[in-house]
Amino acid sequence: MLFRIDAKPNRLTAWTLSWFLFASGIALYFYTSNKRHIENPEDKVIPNLTQLSQGVTDAFLKPDTEEAAPEGLENASLPKKFLTSMLWTDTVASAKRFAWSMLLLIPAVVLGLHMGMFPVFGQFFLRFILFFDKIIALSVLPILFIAFGIDELAKIMLIVIGVTPTIILDTFNLTKSVPSEQVVKGFTLGAQDFGVAYSIVLKQILPRVLNSIRLNLKSIMLFLFAGEMIASQDGLAFRIALLRRHMGMNVIIPYVLWVALLLFLVDLTMRVTNRKLHPWFREA
Amino acid sequence: MPELIQLENVGVIYNVHGHAPKQVLQGLNLTIQPGEFVAVCGQTGCGKSTMLRLILGAERPSSGRVLIEGCERPRPDRHRGYVPQKYSLFPDKTVLDNITFGPETEEFGLIGRLRPGFRRRREELREKAFGYLRQMGLQQSDAHKYPDQLSGGMQQRVAIAQALIMRPAILLMDEAFSALDPGTRADMQRLVRTLWQETGTTFLFVTHNIPEAVYLGSRIVVLGKDSPESSSRVLVDMEVPESARTASGYPNREELERLTRVIEDAALGGRLELEMAEFGG
Ligand SMILES: Nc1ncnc2c1ncn2[C@@H]1O[C@H](COP(=O)(O)OP(=O)(O)OP(=O)(O)O)[C@@H](O)[C@H]1O
Ligand SMILES: [Mg+2]
Repeated sequence: MLFRIDAKPNRLTAWTLSWFLFASGIALYFYTSNKRHIENPEDKVIPNLTQLSQGVTDAFLKPDTEEAAPEGLENASLPKKFLTSMLWTDTVASAKRFAWSMLLLIPAVVLGLHMGMFPVFGQFFLRFILFFDKIIALSVLPILFIAFGIDELAKIMLIVIGVTPTIILDTFNLTKSVPSEQVVKGFTLGAQDFGVAYSIVLKQILPRVLNSIRLNLKSIMLFLFAGEMIASQDGLAFRIALLRRHMGMNVIIPYVLWVALLLFLVDLTMRVTNRKLHPWFREA
Repeated sequence: MPELIQLENVGVIYNVHGHAPKQVLQGLNLTIQPGEFVAVCGQTGCGKSTMLRLILGAERPSSGRVLIEGCERPRPDRHRGYVPQKYSLFPDKTVLDNITFGPETEEFGLIGRLRPGFRRRREELREKAFGYLRQMGLQQSDAHKYPDQLSGGMQQRVAIAQALIMRPAILLMDEAFSALDPGTRADMQRLVRTLWQETGTTFLFVTHNIPEAVYLGSRIVVLGKDSPESSSRVLVDMEVPESARTASGYPNREELERLTRVIEDAALGGRLELEMAEFGG
């Protein structure tokens, strides 16, 4: 059965198969944790359930420092506690940077579109961006810190350098791949250059552009985290890096899972929005 | 009064990277009067589409001149409609929006759609588009479908409506029906012929299919080469007298045989291989 191309597992089998690795991963984790705790009850490397839930409570319901806590927090409701918690403040800080970098992708898409539509534009930028694309963003991090200081701008520039060339080139290629018939057709229907570029070509490639951005979410997060880990006073990655110093595994693990959940949700939202906005789009 | 379309000694050379430049057309002369239906035939690769793109203004000749009403118009515009074989509809727009795209764009441009009068005018244009839909033999219920939900024949009907609503002086069709099954193809041929008779638009229709050319054209032009090494020019250029047509719209038997023989003679001389097989009528 295992190596049969035409195998058709039934629903229960499919369900079991797809969750098996999750279940065994969790089981293996707690088994190892348990074993280590028998040897050393204070073990922090693989926290057990009690330690983990302590970590989750600390991260999800308590502010970063005692001073940051507003009056009467002890008796506040759970959502209120969550909104002042360490995890939430870190999430907001990272989300702001993330949002800025997403905003900066809009000019990248416009640039790619113009490069693909207007040959003069294309000639002007293409070689330079191809070159730029080959630069390993992390390798210019020191330059960025020197040039822009270690505040927000440097971190956002890191993401820009890391991701925008890809998005520009993707948009450029997508623009180029629109059949020339469509452009000619646009002119014969009375459209002008910008009309063809925006109401014919851009509309057609937009779902693919969004997909390309979606596939690059991980790189965006990667550069965001790199920036935060190296130089930051807040943010999810800053916290993970900080906790590493005192072996706060019981908080690091929930943080990692939280980031994965967030990324999954962003991805899902983009996919659903894309489908809603472009009902005509069939994924090739 | 200048001619509607005039090709003067036109030559086209393509420079393909890594190959010697290729002269596709050379010394091409052709004059087209308003109201003609010119069917263009020729072997694959002989430059039919290239000639069409020259007339459209989507391409410029390497030598010679392409004149539309006496002027060079080196850019496609709303006076020359275009129905290609593929990619003729905008995939992101519904049938209705595809048809109203032209008039809307022309009247309102890219940002004029924010103007107050736009909504009312759009309703009027939609009514007009429905008229065209009916004329093309499409259902009201097709209006809100996307192009990939339509059959090939329906797509080409929409494409024709989309072009005709602009009332172009010239309609250029490039193998517009060659992907259709014989039955649909015959329907579309009848439709196009009726539209030509009713609107008086000048048609330029590229096809591989001799019977299609003979049925549709008021004039038949065959492009081809004198020898394999040379470039294409006009090999045959002949009128199809309307008086020779029977009630079915086909030229009568003798005329049909004569036309086919002339085209095939040219085909043999110029090594054309025109397909005879896939005619549906
Ligand atoms: N953009 C281009 N660059 C280089 N060569 C081209 C280009 N467009 C067309 N050609 C060449 O010019 C010749 C004529 O092409 P064209 O498309 O006009 O032929 P056609 O008669 O329409 O053929 P078909 O019946 O297959 O559509 C072909 O040999 C083709 O390879
Ligand atoms: Mg062609």
